[in-house]
Amino acid sequence: MSRAVIPFTTQAAALGVALALPAFVGANSYALFVATQLGIYIIAAIGLNLLAGYAGQVSLGHAAFVAIGAYSVALLTVDHHWPFWAAAVVGMVLAAGLGVLAALPAFRLNTWYFAFITLAFALVFEKMIVEWRWLTKGFAGVVGVPPPSAFGYEFGPRPLYYTVVAVTVIAFILVRNVVHSRFGRAFVAVRDVEPAALAVGASPQRTKLVAFVISAALAGIAGAFFAVQKTVVTPDDFTADFSIFFLLTVVLGGLGTLWGPIIGALVFFLIPELLAGLQSWRMLIYGGMLLGLMLFAPHGLYGALRQAWRRFAPSPAKASAAADSSHAREHPPIAGLGLVISGLRKQFGGVQALDGVDLSVPAGSCYAIVGPNGSGKTTLLNLASGYYVPDAGSVKIGDVEALGSGAQRIAARGVGRTFQTPRLIADLTALDNVMLGAYTRERAGLLSTALRLPFARAEARRLRQEALGFLQFVGVADRADIEAGEIPHGQQRLIEIARAMMGGARLILLDEPAAGLSMSELERLERLIMRICGLGATIVIVEHHLDLVANVATHVTVLDRGTVLAAGKPAAVFNDERVMRAYMGERALKAGVPA
Amino acid sequence: MDIDVLAHGIVAGSLYALVAVSFNILYRPTNVFNFAQGELVMLGAMIFASLTSLAGMPWLVAFAGTLVAVGCIGLVEERIAVAPILARSQTGTGWVITTLATSLIISNLVGRFWGPDPILVKPPALLSMDSLDIGASRISSYEIALVLVTLVLVAIVERVYRTLKGKAVMAVAEDREAALLRGIDPGSLGRWSFFLGAAFAAMTGVLAAPILYASTSLGPDLLLKGFAAAAVGSIGNNRGALIAGYVIGVTEAVGASLLSPGYQEAVIFIVVLAVLLLKPEGLFGSPNARTV
Repeated sequence: MSRAVIPFTTQAAALGVALALPAFVGANSYALFVATQLGIYIIAAIGLNLLAGYAGQVSLGHAAFVAIGAYSVALLTVDHHWPFWAAAVVGMVLAAGLGVLAALPAFRLNTWYFAFITLAFALVFEKMIVEWRWLTKGFAGVVGVPPPSAFGYEFGPRPLYYTVVAVTVIAFILVRNVVHSRFGRAFVAVRDVEPAALAVGASPQRTKLVAFVISAALAGIAGAFFAVQKTVVTPDDFTADFSIFFLLTVVLGGLGTLWGPIIGALVFFLIPELLAGLQSWRMLIYGGMLLGLMLFAPHGLYGALRQAWRRFAPSPAKASAAADSSHAREHPPIAGLGLVISGLRKQFGGVQALDGVDLSVPAGSCYAIVGPNGSGKTTLLNLASGYYVPDAGSVKIGDVEALGSGAQRIAARGVGRTFQTPRLIADLTALDNVMLGAYTRERAGLLSTALRLPFARAEARRLRQEALGFLQFVGVADRADIEAGEIPHGQQRLIEIARAMMGGARLILLDEPAAGLSMSELERLERLIMRICGLGATIVIVEHHLDLVANVATHVTVLDRGTVLAAGKPAAVFNDERVMRAYMGERALKAGVPA
Repeated sequence: MDIDVLAHGIVAGSLYALVAVSFNILYRPTNVFNFAQGELVMLGAMIFASLTSLAGMPWLVAFAGTLVAVGCIGLVEERIAVAPILARSQTGTGWVITTLATSLIISNLVGRFWGPDPILVKPPALLSMDSLDIGASRISSYEIALVLVTLVLVAIVERVYRTLKGKAVMAVAEDREAALLRGIDPGSLGRWSFFLGAAFAAMTGVLAAPILYASTSLGPDLLLKGFAAAAVGSIGNNRGALIAGYVIGVTEAVGASLLSPGYQEAVIFIVVLAVLLLKPEGLFGSPNARTV
């Protein structure tokens, strides 16, 4: 994913400084207090960054989730004498649970619904803290939260600090592991190219939900430590300003970068000291900073650092792990899936895009669908892959009716597809894009991924090799480590095909793969399609380029204005008079222009 | 149910509907949901209050001046905070953060200039805030006028969308590139919609001021309730927004009278969540087909 800019030695040094700090400052010093607080804020910021930076869901009410953790610990330890650790777990679960309950409807909708709903949630929660005096003690707040203790030993400021540092490091490592896994790839896919997430079988709703649960749980833990550190919890601690503060921390450090939240929080803790005289201008400055950063440094300080670093020391052209793409790799045969479509209809407004289309794609064939613009070819693909819901008809993939299943379900059943304009995730490398294809095939769950259990690591390694193999298969292995956004159009198409194959696709739908390709790229594409077919996979290709179709297709169906005009072997179909008329018009036909 | 509670719910609901319509005006061609909209409403109320109460300008002059001034601020917002973000990525949501930042900047600058004290704004001549005692309800002539004006405004906005320019707006909302090919300039429509959306927000502020007073606290409150009305009534649907505005206003009034005023927001929040859970596209919308 993102190439490391902060070298290992610097990371170790940062941790060293954090661990050595208590030796140089007094146990009750202000410096230690601030450092503990910094750690707590970093925990929450790491979570918010995972959500807003990677998954693209901006939470404007993160203070509320911190508040849930803080109040849980304060109330359970003070009123019910629970031990801190149990109370912290409850706080974490409550933060995630209440958050999910509130945000559930938002996951199906545009991302800004989520922003609004979290904003409203924080506001309502703030009011409820005051309203439910019997529970929360209203404005006065909960006083005298006891420090955590273990084995009869009560934590002073120093052990508390070490605990917070440990939790911060653990949170950082777990989030890093998740970000570098299939979940992280799915986050970025959902953020940037939702159709691509669907195409690999990743449910956008569930992906957003996973990011949010992790994020809210981390906010809950941060809140738990917040309560024991401050010993007093009041509604004033968790205002809308506090949510803005978290957001700004993450934006300042760098949205969607692992070190962003840490850098942002560090800088933030230095600024208030410098701006002590400007307290009343604070929110205005926050607003100005948010605006300026989003406009001029969307990846924050970390992004600026990375850019400067690259300019200063351009990374040497790294020899790719599998640069040897001269020989095409052998690939095990694929058991192709048949596709049977009958009576398919779809209307858009007043336009009947498809009007009762039947076609039957035998397993293992290379089936072309051609037709003039607006004849319903792409609509047909989108219906078959579940992106549209048809008005009537049936779509059978293999022997299973696919109608009514969502796009990601159909993808998981072994249907891969490409798009008219390649839908790769620009911020991920070519290799990561291909690995994203394996989303539904990976067995390691969230927990084993976050903990990097041996079998999860082995699986990731194996899939990486496999993905490299597919890049080699399509002939762009030399691009493995380059971000997809920087790769030329023609190769992006090939990577998209590799992604579909990586998903274990047995039926591959290609939407105008030849569009915008050069002559040599076209030849490569042609050979590639024939090789994939040769392995046994079924290919359905929607294409304008009739030479390509004539060369690769075993069957052709011609669509015109939403109905099947002709179907059969390419040679026969292309000499059909009605087909020629549809393509070239009456006059051209009479003039005797050859097909 | 107390008829008075219902009446006041309708009055408040009219204001929420107007905020929702101002969201829609801006949203339709740009697909941007302006998080500074509440502050633009507040700004309208503040500028108008200053022009009439402090500078003693006649009602109509101050009204026009306020609309133009806030419209221009909306335009500046579009140029600085929205257009550059959309130029970078049409699908990204960076504008959530930049319009939020704009809202912070506006609300804090206004707080600096005007201070926290609410300003009393008198209704225009012939109308008053004195309650009329019609039957059991104690509603004022100004509040009745507000409800009627809201109906007229929604009807006017709907009419405008049926004109050629209005259709262009819908075309851009549907498919930006296709509209571009047909000679519609989405950029110019975006600028206009921000100007008009902001001016409409300012008008909402002017209309709200006699009832709610002009103060900096107007912004966040109307932002969230306006969003609630827009979401429940289906984004982009103005008639839906009107009805949803009433629903939100009445729910809030009834909730407050049955429980305690502290539950107002919570009740609305739960209604919005319930609606979105059952009908994600709102009560008056059809699910959009995904486009690939």
